[in-house]
Amino acid sequence: MRRSLILVGVAVLAFPTAAHAADGGWIAPFAVIAAGIGMAIAAGLCGLGQGRAVASAVDAMARQPGAAARIQTAMIIGLALIESLAIYTLVIALILLFVKGINFA
Amino acid sequence: MEAIEHPPIFRLPGIPDHVTYTWLVMVILAAITFAASRNLQLVPRGLQNFLEVVLEQFMQMIDDVMGHEGRRYLPLLATLGLFILTGNLMSLVPGLAGPTGNLNTTAACAIVVFVAYHGIGARKQGVVAYLKHFAGPVPLPLKPLMFVIELISHLARPLSLTLRLFGNMVGGHILLGVIFLLMGLDGLIGWALSGSVVGAVVGGIGGVVTIVFTVGFLYPLKILVAFLQAFIFVMLTMLYISGAIEEAEHHSEHH
Repeated sequence: MRRSLILVGVAVLAFPTAAHAADGGWIAPFAVIAAGIGMAIAAGLCGLGQGRAVASAVDAMARQPGAAARIQTAMIIGLALIESLAIYTLVIALILLFVKGINFA
Repeated sequence: MEAIEHPPIFRLPGIPDHVTYTWLVMVILAAITFAASRNLQLVPRGLQNFLEVVLEQFMQMIDDVMGHEGRRYLPLLATLGLFILTGNLMSLVPGLAGPTGNLNTTAACAIVVFVAYHGIGARKQGVVAYLKHFAGPVPLPLKPLMFVIELISHLARPLSLTLRLFGNMVGGHILLGVIFLLMGLDGLIGWALSGSVVGAVVGGIGGVVTIVFTVGFLYPLKILVAFLQAFIFVMLTMLYISGAIEEAEHHSEHH
């Protein structure tokens, strides 16, 4: 199981190199892979973090319905701050995917 | 990005799209406020009533976050909020470009916030005392370290304001662009119209599903995000300004 996973990983990493090593442009495929994997990790972990924040905020709102408005405001600000970390990754992914000025060769 | 994003219908030659549509937002907001305030009445009706409700929402937020003395910053906060909200919503209209989907516009807003809250803090307290407060309540040998850390954290604020608004808007645009690309004439709807039976079945079902998904879920989500991002931008601006003011009060308590 573990060995097959490693083999798949090696195959995934080796494939673009093999396909594009001839014309020397092998960084661009890696950039696409990095954008995808990085965004996936960022989105998943951002979801975990935001889930914790929302869970405890809803908990607090259920205990203290009177303070729900203030808790909600604080929760939204916290969610924005957590989300901005994933947004940084999104910006880096966009740079990797779309910015033509970077010399990939 | 040019591969999936359609250029807007109206373009001025030689002027970038985000500048053109920033001017359009300015024209819209100025026209609305002029029409609302041209004939002011004690009992507001129509447009004047609507704008008063909007500004009362802003004042309510300011009272909640900054207290009563925060009302003098209402012009800055409400202008930022209305500009960003209008820009966000305008980017959802097909054929128009949103100014907030460009890094330059959001950076301009964030730099305005940065300069404004430092200016407010420095004016409340004097430049030297305000700068002194960056060093924090730590023993003297640690003060240079704290000063550098605070400086970096303050410099990170406009960066995060910029990238948050930009990333949220552009991420949504790219998502919508990819969905439209999948369902357009080259994608599912093209299959449905291609004439073959399998294409009609797969493309028809898939096209209906993507249209329902887009209209029923993605578009409301993007409208929510447009309001939420404008709210968060204004809210963080309020927190930064009240932080600069409170630092002043805190500082004067110490002495």
